[in-house]
Amino acid sequence: MFQNPEIALHTLPDMDDLDWQQIHPTYARRLQLERALFVSAIAIATLAATLILDIPVDKAIMFWIPLIVFAIPLLVWPLVSVPRRGYVVRDKDIVFKSGVIWRSVTAVPFNRVQHVETSNTPLDRKFGVANLQIFTAGGSGGDLRISGLAADTAEQLRVYVLEKVGVSIENH
Amino acid sequence: MLFFFGKLLRTITKNAWQSLAPFVAFIYAYQGELVTKIVIGAIAFFVISISISVLNYWFFRFQLNNDSILIRQGVIKKKQLDIKFDRIQGINTQQNVVFRYFGLVTISFDTAGSSGSEGNLPAVTRAFAESLRSRIGSESESVEATAAESEADALLRLDWRDMVRIGLADRRALVVFALIGPLFERLGDDADRVVANYIERAADDAFQFGVAGGVVIVTAAVIGLILLFALISLGAAFLRYHNFELFLDGSTLRSNGGLLTRHEVSMHLSKIQTLRLEQGIVMRWLGRYRMSARQARSSQKQGKSKNFSVPVITADAANHLREILLAPEGDSLMQIPTSERFRQISPYYMRSRILFVGLLPAIAATLIFWQAFGVASLGVLLWLPAIILFSYQSWRRSGYLLSAEGLVRRSGLIGYRSVALLYRKVQRVSVTQSRYQRRKNLASLRVYMASGSVRIPYIEHATAKQLRDYILYKVESSQLAWH
Repeated sequence: MFQNPEIALHTLPDMDDLDWQQIHPTYARRLQLERALFVSAIAIATLAATLILDIPVDKAIMFWIPLIVFAIPLLVWPLVSVPRRGYVVRDKDIVFKSGVIWRSVTAVPFNRVQHVETSNTPLDRKFGVANLQIFTAGGSGGDLRISGLAADTAEQLRVYVLEKVGVSIENH
Repeated sequence: MLFFFGKLLRTITKNAWQSLAPFVAFIYAYQGELVTKIVIGAIAFFVISISISVLNYWFFRFQLNNDSILIRQGVIKKKQLDIKFDRIQGINTQQNVVFRYFGLVTISFDTAGSSGSEGNLPAVTRAFAESLRSRIGSESESVEATAAESEADALLRLDWRDMVRIGLADRRALVVFALIGPLFERLGDDADRVVANYIERAADDAFQFGVAGGVVIVTAAVIGLILLFALISLGAAFLRYHNFELFLDGSTLRSNGGLLTRHEVSMHLSKIQTLRLEQGIVMRWLGRYRMSARQARSSQKQGKSKNFSVPVITADAANHLREILLAPEGDSLMQIPTSERFRQISPYYMRSRILFVGLLPAIAATLIFWQAFGVASLGVLLWLPAIILFSYQSWRRSGYLLSAEGLVRRSGLIGYRSVALLYRKVQRVSVTQSRYQRRKNLASLRVYMASGSVRIPYIEHATAKQLRDYILYKVESSQLAWH
């Protein structure tokens, strides 16, 4: 029997008071370490270049000032941005928020998920974190990616999402 | 059951050139008369190309299984392709002049996967193509396949006047024109010099030759060239769309058309992700639109999503067609851009564009060029009014329309484009706010479809959130498949 009840918009579940889950707190440290390695690689290269080419100190300063000016916000930023990331797993979808200046909230319904993937780099493993990536059809603009989850949380989520996807397919 | 047919004529030109290269070198080294060289060359060309196509023909095999089709091809490099029927989104056929004489067609399969390595079946009979089509059609819909088979009424027919319209609106003609433009100027310069010469000589010889003569020559050349381009695009329109007809077979949309090579394209209605209605400046003068239905695109390759398009259509026909294509939910998704039902986005949309695309780059450019050009660098600031104009225009043309089952997004600068989609086919949604938008309580909503995403910028934050929650509700409670 086909039914088409009217829906009152204000009764729909909203996202205003969701219990946002933080990603793993050490993820900020991991990002900082990665960026520190990157910055020091450039610093070493600059140092080597000034020594080999025998550039006088007053000119070499012209390289060092922009390097330091860029390095400081780069290293501090994860402390600001990582706490702003959060996710919520609901019964029928997963919601992820991120961003400090541009804040975005993305929701992926489980019955549109194509596949789920977890991945980690050696650096991730050292900090015990992993990335969860959820793919939908079309794949425009990068699918939903939640990086910096605790490794076991990521694995649990992967299994949970797959289970949900399976249920939603069976219902069709 | 094993069928094998060949692709004889098509491969002749395709492979022959590469294999001929050493032979050409040999002929070049061969001491003899030019005529003998040409004769030997021609004979060799035919022998080699015919043997290649015979080999290709011999090694091209395909096999129909219960739920898939297997294609094997290649003489030296073997290739095997297995296409599952339920992956096939549509079957398109093409028929060139030679094939038409023999009653053969080339089938190409639209699959959800990659667009590069798709299967082709060259030179099969028309009847076989039909049987394959109905067989694959019956995979996705069990009923209604046979009933509407041959008696389907044409939804739309295009006649020669429409060909003229397509030809006039062809954007490629404009591109060619823009490319040739500089050449034109050179031509103009030359003409100037010729005219100047004549004038000098006229002064010398006291022989009257008006400047008007030169101007007439140049104008005639320009008009002639424009006419030539118009003719070319007109010809292209006839070649591709001559006798264009649109049918609905059960729930499969089908079109065919073309003067020499007939193209037949089909698409299952349920595969439509978004429906676009576009109107360029020429089409606007003509009071016509261009409509296209987009299918899901592959996620591996960022390829273009596949289209089913109607090159020229009136507003009424477009409305009628939309109701059929998006049935049963598409009734209220009015796509005609002048409709009163479109809502405007917030005018603050202009401010950030003017600031970040207009003002800041203009100031930066002025500062950079100040040293080199001095006061002349202030000319860069002319960029600003242009951007203000563009921002205003694109704000005015931006709009959106919400219904219970879907939405339409309107945009445009010179022309119009409106994209309609159904909520239940949405893949994911996101709501984004910049700092500035937060202060003004605005947000941008982006809806991701399997064919690409649609963004509605600068709407009320509350509206965006409510729409997102409603879309999620629609998707999550939908029992219908999105593909």
